[in-house]
Amino acid sequence: MTAMRVDAKVVMLGKESVGKTSLVERYVHHRFLVGPYQNTIGAAFVAKPTHVGDKVITLGIWDTAGSERYEAMSRIYYRGARAAIVCYDLTDSSSFQRARFWVKELQNCEEHCKIYLCGTKTDLIEADRAARQVDYHDVQDFADEIGAQHFETSSKTGNNVDELFQKVAEDYNSSSFEVMPGEMSFIQKMKNLRLPHVALRLH
Amino acid sequence: MDFFCAVVAKFAKSTVVVIKCVCVCQGKMSQRAERRGIHVDQSELLCKKGCGYYGNAAWQGLCSKCWREEYQRARQKQIQEDWALAEKLQREEEEAAYASSQGGQSQPSAASQVPPPLAPFSKFEEKKTNEKTRKVTTVKKFFSPSSRTAPKKEPHEGKAPSPSISRQSSLETDRVSRDFVDFLKNLQKPGREIHKQCRAFIEGMSNKKDLSADELSECVQDFYQNMSDRLMAHFKGSSERVERVMDQVEQYIMTRLYKNVFCPETTDDEKKDLATQNRIRALHWVTIQMLCVPLDEEIPEVSDSVVKAITDVIEMDSRRVPRDKLACITSCSKHIFNAIRVTKSEPASADDFLPALIYIVLKANPPRLQSNIQYITRFCNPSRLMTGEDGYYFTNLCCAVAFIEKLDAQSLNLSAEDFERYMSGQGSPSGAGMEADQMWAGSGPAAASPAVAQAQRQLEALTALTQRQEQVLSGVCELQAELQQWELSVMRQVKGILDRYPLELRPPPPDSAPITAPAPTIDSANTDDDRLPPPLTPQLFAK
Repeated sequence: MTAMRVDAKVVMLGKESVGKTSLVERYVHHRFLVGPYQNTIGAAFVAKPTHVGDKVITLGIWDTAGSERYEAMSRIYYRGARAAIVCYDLTDSSSFQRARFWVKELQNCEEHCKIYLCGTKTDLIEADRAARQVDYHDVQDFADEIGAQHFETSSKTGNNVDELFQKVAEDYNSSSFEVMPGEMSFIQKMKNLRLPHVALRLH
Repeated sequence: MDFFCAVVAKFAKSTVVVIKCVCVCQGKMSQRAERRGIHVDQSELLCKKGCGYYGNAAWQGLCSKCWREEYQRARQKQIQEDWALAEKLQREEEEAAYASSQGGQSQPSAASQVPPPLAPFSKFEEKKTNEKTRKVTTVKKFFSPSSRTAPKKEPHEGKAPSPSISRQSSLETDRVSRDFVDFLKNLQKPGREIHKQCRAFIEGMSNKKDLSADELSECVQDFYQNMSDRLMAHFKGSSERVERVMDQVEQYIMTRLYKNVFCPETTDDEKKDLATQNRIRALHWVTIQMLCVPLDEEIPEVSDSVVKAITDVIEMDSRRVPRDKLACITSCSKHIFNAIRVTKSEPASADDFLPALIYIVLKANPPRLQSNIQYITRFCNPSRLMTGEDGYYFTNLCCAVAFIEKLDAQSLNLSAEDFERYMSGQGSPSGAGMEADQMWAGSGPAAASPAVAQAQRQLEALTALTQRQEQVLSGVCELQAELQQWELSVMRQVKGILDRYPLELRPPPPDSAPITAPAPTIDSANTDDDRLPPPLTPQLFAK
């Protein structure tokens, strides 16, 4: 895994326990597990090759700590990310407020980063419609406003999960052609590279 | 001459030169000893050259004037010899480097080898090359003022640091250079080109010492880019091979540049290092519970992984190549993941990992943390730092450091007063949810930190063990005493019985009965024969 070349950096943002890790786990290992499981050592970073047409794009998926106490550090995480999947829990309206916060941060600091809004736990909504606290159309309006994609997923059933990441890979593929055929521009890389320590200085 | 020898011995890096000097010295001394006779003839006192003046044993029997002439001649000769040797060594080394960069036959440890056949263009190549090893440079530097032949231009002669330091670091540098050359051999012609460019770049960098750290970084990054673009064209887009070569290039140039670009004086990296170090020291009281770290150090495997993680993150400082430093961080992270997995028995997410990493950094207080982070950021090959797994862990480390710098009462779920008190060292937390004052009154120092608690538990276990051992020991003693007593008692009994019945041997019945006969006689005394006198005999002995 270490040696795997990664084409695009994708960050997962979202409040604690909205299901970022489960989402990645479902996408990478096609499973949803409740309770103890030992097969994987950690799901914080995964590299996953995805087929786009006849090409293979490897997404490097970065999990981030969602706790509020690390909020100030989150910009260090999404430096140089080509895509950010901002997650919120459909049964928890406060998680969507936090999602709005990240969207704002991304728009301010990382203009080249595409934003994907991802509502999680649709299976809970299907079981009990009253559990929904975040309205689909509100989010869709918000997504249109910020030019983001919008998905509602369930890591438990796998609903919409592959579609989400497939979209991410496709968008990366088409945008990388726009920027420069083949390799990502080096200037861009350099800019991205510098950012972690610039960010450290900010504090 | 002695002085001369001493100076040469001190400065010359070439052992051959030193040995030669020592030999010369010993020769002088033995001569001197021979001449220290008791009977001195008048003729022996005169100068050996026969100039009519008196000689001196210390001057090998010469007068002062003749001795000076002789000495000058010998010295000149010595200088020339050393000079020739230095040149030879240098030539050998350069040839070896050149020959192997050519993709030719291997020349391991050039200095100790027989000189390879001279290539006709080696002389020319020599001038271009910048890769003179420091030992030759130093020897040359010492001799060049007195030698008649003009020394060759030394582009970075003034930069040669003190001999002892350069000797240490040159060991690693030499090893890396050899590996690099070996690696490039497989690439044939482009390999030679790469080697040439790298050397030219290093030479260029040594002239840019006045640049700021960011400008240096820019230079290195530009070099990476050019190199990688060229390789990309050469390998026709096979990014895997490009990456492999780039790794080697990075290792080679960064090992050589490390000294000049790590924590350079133009930056305040060092100040930041100290600030961070002090900050972490001041935060020694932060516990696992405050950071909400899902680690249970009571499980042996977990505490084992924690120790390994700490070792790895400290190890980072000792590496020179950014990639190797990153590998240390990655290895540290893997150990943390393992510890979390064992504790929670499920894979760790970033929500678990970051606090754990912060905790590890606080416990380890890695040396020159800021310098290392800056160094990696400035000089690491960007493709690695950007997206890959190493980059992820490095980013987490940056976050951890940023968190530690900014850390306040709120981020530990403490009240501002408590935080102030702990920071000023006036109190220390006694554990999750407990007031600091309670600690002193109540639960004792065991609760102060998990390490103390653990130490105490182990102490208790040790005490228990000692007690049990003592019990066993005393049991053994008892058993031994019992055994001895038993032995004694057996002996006593035997003796008693023997004492009681010695007579059986003495009064052999006149009718020549067998020795055992009396016993049955006694036993059957009543039944058999009651007119016998024997009943009297036991009475006599019972007294």
